[in-house]
Amino acid sequence: MNTKKRILAMLLAATMLLPLAACSKDPVDNPDNPDTPGNEVVDVLTDGKDYTYNTYTATSPSNWNELTYQDNNDTQIMSYIGSSFYNYDFKFDENGEILPGEFVMEFDAATALEDVSADYVGTKWNVPEDAKGYAYKITLREDLMWDDGTPIKAEDFVWTMQQQLDPLFQNYRADSFYAGATIIVNAQEYVMQGQNVEAVDNSQTGKYALADLVKGDDGVYTQPDGKAIYFALNDPLAWCSGKTVTQYSSYMDADAFAALQELADEKGRVAVTDETIALVTKLIDTEDWGNEPPENVPYYMVYAFTYPEVDFADVGIFVGDTDYELVIVLAKSLPLLKDDGSLSYQAAYNMASLPLVHREKFEASKIAPSEGTTLWTSNYNSSVETTASWGPYKLESFQSGKQYVLVRNENWYGYKMEENKGLYQADRIVCDTIKEWNAAWLKFLAGEIDGIGIDVSVADDYKGSDRAYFTPDDYVQSLQLQSNVEQLKARETDGVNKSILGYADFRKAISLSINRNDFATKTTTSSLEGFGLFNSMHYYDVENGGVYRNTDEAKQVLCDIYNVNPADYESLDVAVDAITGIDLAAAKELYTSAYNAALEAGDIKATDKVVLTFGTSTINEVVQRRYDYLATALKDAVVGTPLEGRLEMELKDFSDAWANDFRAGAYDVCMGGWTGAAWDPGYFLLAYLSPGYMYSKAWDTAGTQMTFTMKGVGENGEDITETMGLLDWYNCLNGAADAKYDWSATALEQSQRLQLIAALEKEVLKAYYTVPLYNNFSASLLSYKVDYVTYEYNTFMSYGGVKYMTFNFDDEGWTAEVAKYNGELNYK
Amino acid sequence: MYMFKYICKRIGLMIMTFTIIFVTCFVLIKLLPVDYSVGFGEDTAKIENMLKSRGYDKPIPEQFILYMRRIFLDGDFGIGFRMPEYRGQPVWSVFIEKLPPTILINIYSSLLAVPVGIALGIFAALKKNKWQDHLISTAVMVVISVPSFVYATLLLYIVCFKMSALPLNIASFADVIKAYPEKNLVYIPGTFNWSLYFNSKMFLSMLPAVFSMAFGSIAGYARFTRAELTEVLTSEFMLLARTKGLTKSQATVRHALRNSMVPIFPSIIGEFISVLSGSLVIENIFSIPGVGGLYLAAINAKDYDFFMMLSGFYLLVSLVASLVIDLSYGVIDPRIRMGAK
Repeated sequence: MNTKKRILAMLLAATMLLPLAACSKDPVDNPDNPDTPGNEVVDVLTDGKDYTYNTYTATSPSNWNELTYQDNNDTQIMSYIGSSFYNYDFKFDENGEILPGEFVMEFDAATALEDVSADYVGTKWNVPEDAKGYAYKITLREDLMWDDGTPIKAEDFVWTMQQQLDPLFQNYRADSFYAGATIIVNAQEYVMQGQNVEAVDNSQTGKYALADLVKGDDGVYTQPDGKAIYFALNDPLAWCSGKTVTQYSSYMDADAFAALQELADEKGRVAVTDETIALVTKLIDTEDWGNEPPENVPYYMVYAFTYPEVDFADVGIFVGDTDYELVIVLAKSLPLLKDDGSLSYQAAYNMASLPLVHREKFEASKIAPSEGTTLWTSNYNSSVETTASWGPYKLESFQSGKQYVLVRNENWYGYKMEENKGLYQADRIVCDTIKEWNAAWLKFLAGEIDGIGIDVSVADDYKGSDRAYFTPDDYVQSLQLQSNVEQLKARETDGVNKSILGYADFRKAISLSINRNDFATKTTTSSLEGFGLFNSMHYYDVENGGVYRNTDEAKQVLCDIYNVNPADYESLDVAVDAITGIDLAAAKELYTSAYNAALEAGDIKATDKVVLTFGTSTINEVVQRRYDYLATALKDAVVGTPLEGRLEMELKDFSDAWANDFRAGAYDVCMGGWTGAAWDPGYFLLAYLSPGYMYSKAWDTAGTQMTFTMKGVGENGEDITETMGLLDWYNCLNGAADAKYDWSATALEQSQRLQLIAALEKEVLKAYYTVPLYNNFSASLLSYKVDYVTYEYNTFMSYGGVKYMTFNFDDEGWTAEVAKYNGELNYK
Repeated sequence: MYMFKYICKRIGLMIMTFTIIFVTCFVLIKLLPVDYSVGFGEDTAKIENMLKSRGYDKPIPEQFILYMRRIFLDGDFGIGFRMPEYRGQPVWSVFIEKLPPTILINIYSSLLAVPVGIALGIFAALKKNKWQDHLISTAVMVVISVPSFVYATLLLYIVCFKMSALPLNIASFADVIKAYPEKNLVYIPGTFNWSLYFNSKMFLSMLPAVFSMAFGSIAGYARFTRAELTEVLTSEFMLLARTKGLTKSQATVRHALRNSMVPIFPSIIGEFISVLSGSLVIENIFSIPGVGGLYLAAINAKDYDFFMMLSGFYLLVSLVASLVIDLSYGVIDPRIRMGAK
């Protein structure tokens, strides 16, 4: 027994001491050892020193596969291992100084771009006659290759596109080539082939008239191929401006609607029979609904559809006359070239590159679907072994959730380019995954990482540092107010009112209760007050540097919304500068008028309290601070009104479902906004007008009418005055297929479109479902070790990134420098 | 024989419990809708097709049968699809890769905490009501009242940052490989290489986390041991042991300690079992790529395959742990016989 105990004790001790034993043999790192990873790469710089850029991320990327990436975590590695056909670059003056806010376009992996639309007129590609921007020939550099030396030719891009659009994979990025600005001919058809779609909107496709349908023995009409067709009560229809028949049923014949409801299945679909055709005819023939004629009946139908098979040879991407010529044919014009034949900003914006995968590695990475599923997946670009690079760096190591390391890709064509001489000084990029900001902060102070965002907890001490820089972005954080009055009422309890939020005066009063500058200062690190849907990052005319917020039209919108009369000021600019967002006197009047109107309508009782639920994805210190600010601001604003002491807020955590829950009407107030399409504010309005994106989903943007005069857009330059739903105006602005006018960027001058963008922005703001609070700015600190080429943010080039980054210390020098300060650097 | 029957019965009940809870988890998570937000220029139909292709539109019973068939026939626990860090990655591989650092840190912590905690408890019990006992008891109360992430933060700031005595976070495999070029270490994702974990660089980098987790455990064991031993030391059989001629240390080691271990030993086993779940906060503070928080993240993200695999794993571990703990009573104290009438 004693022996056993002794053995057990020895084993335990040995386990504890095993790692300590290794301590005694701890080898010294040898930076010159050629076997040490990272030291064997070819250094394009001549000083022979090692330069490592150390950075960190809070979330480790899951993959960096161009075909499937989903978010910024995934793109962090992609940006180092890929290349572009053309790039933005800084514009320098004759003294080599960067011109602020300006850019130039440069060829990179491509050597030429040619509009070859004329070559494909009258072919199967259906390029319209005299059209421009439909077909392009991209000539590639002949020295492109993967990091393993495998050459890259045009056929590799074509093959990759076939993988991208492969219907078996349903790749996340497949829709980049048919759902956005870049629409490759037949790309969608190729992706969707074989897919069954339950309900295609007949009013959108215009495919069937009643005479086209075939009546079966059971009296039910079908499509000619026998597939089902229905009347749709609950499906959104283009004919109803994206709404459903049920939503508009109050304008239609009530008896017919009730009869159709009786016959509908659980999805609100009704079989097409002679009886139901008669019912729909009656349904739409009411005065309120405009007495629609019987021939409009098919516009209320949806039909089942199966996408036919498509040969990839019919998809608009193929190899040109030589191995290095890539031809792409688009279904919608895309102006990648300017009139003088030079690259337009859209070349790098919409088609900087096309996806590219290493054929051999990609084939090896395919994973067949498991039982019961049909989805093929791939683990391409998810580890060192499955990764291939054709960019300036290649992946040396990747440990999920911990760290990745990139080193120079000596086979990158760019290192041979004269214009890159002296750039890309970093030999090695090391990115640690650090979830806790505090832990990252200590590593930054210890010189172990080279940059960090400034947290609000240390903002006061470090915002003034000479190593601090401030980055704007296109995100406008806004207060979102619930638009679904039925849901507001449904959530009311005895003595607690919420539906007063349905009154526009009440919402406007909320907007005028908040001092935006004070809110931004007290609740964010470095953001600035925001008043509009767009900020200084939104360009309405990129080519000419036209920032939307700087235009008179946009400034006038803000003055109108925030009760500032430009006539009272020396200039429009001074008037805009005077806006604070807060106007307590006006707010009190509006609270009172909204309350009186609600009282009169019986929507609130004289003893009710108004309790607004503020929802969030998580409750942390920052959220709590913002909530406290808003709750106090609203409470103070109602002093002296009938709502004094009767307006409260409550904070609730709705976790990841917060946005969807808000749209569904589950609570009353949240903070949210949108980012994206910063160079196309006309398109970006979709976020505020389309029910598919809007936070205020119940707001009927199709039915909300706007009368507006578009100046000088008629055929002979005359004005056009129209009254249309907001969504219809939006469709005109973006040249949608069923829009009354085409006022898209290709049809109108940007300066003419500007007037409509401003009008729509004003309409959205005027509804007060979205109340802008601040324009997002992030504050960061950069280590003494490195420097950016500029600290003035350039929307095209940011601060120049790793390409232009310069090092003040090499790795050895930096270690010595940090040691001089006992491992604790001072950035105050 | 009683024991054998008892174990068989417990295993039978364990399988039944496992099945009921596992099926319930599957049904409940599948009843929750997948929230998929659609960004600009994204095709909703394509996302729906992707979900369909994964079989998520099938009836839940059919999905369950297919899920079980995949596990038993192919050993396939599925692929992550919601959590940003693990999208498209096999859930089992992710779990297996992340488990070792969690287990190691917890084992090191237990190896430190158990002997130190018990020793302090014994010392305090033997010095009952003397200044040594008061000192230990006060320290224990202080330590036990403070959560482990506070120690973690203090250790990180004072020991790792201010004193630079230990690394600020756990070493990566690349760091280890770089530190030992002569060993030709290789890291292959989804596999376990002992050499990458058992070296001084990795061990030293784990120490802050180990200490953070150990402090609370040391205090817990010390308090528990002191309480148990104090009670046993005042028992009549101890008086008998002394009167029959045993020295104080002989009586304490042979009789008092063994008896006081009856409730303590199962808690040690329990602690070893719980090491598999890890600590979200500690792992985040020291950037440990472990499994702490993985389960919670899977639930929040409604990542079905991760949730089910982790539910099954932890359920099994806790059921086995409860059985082992129950059986351990019989091993420690022969008077306890499970299943005996």
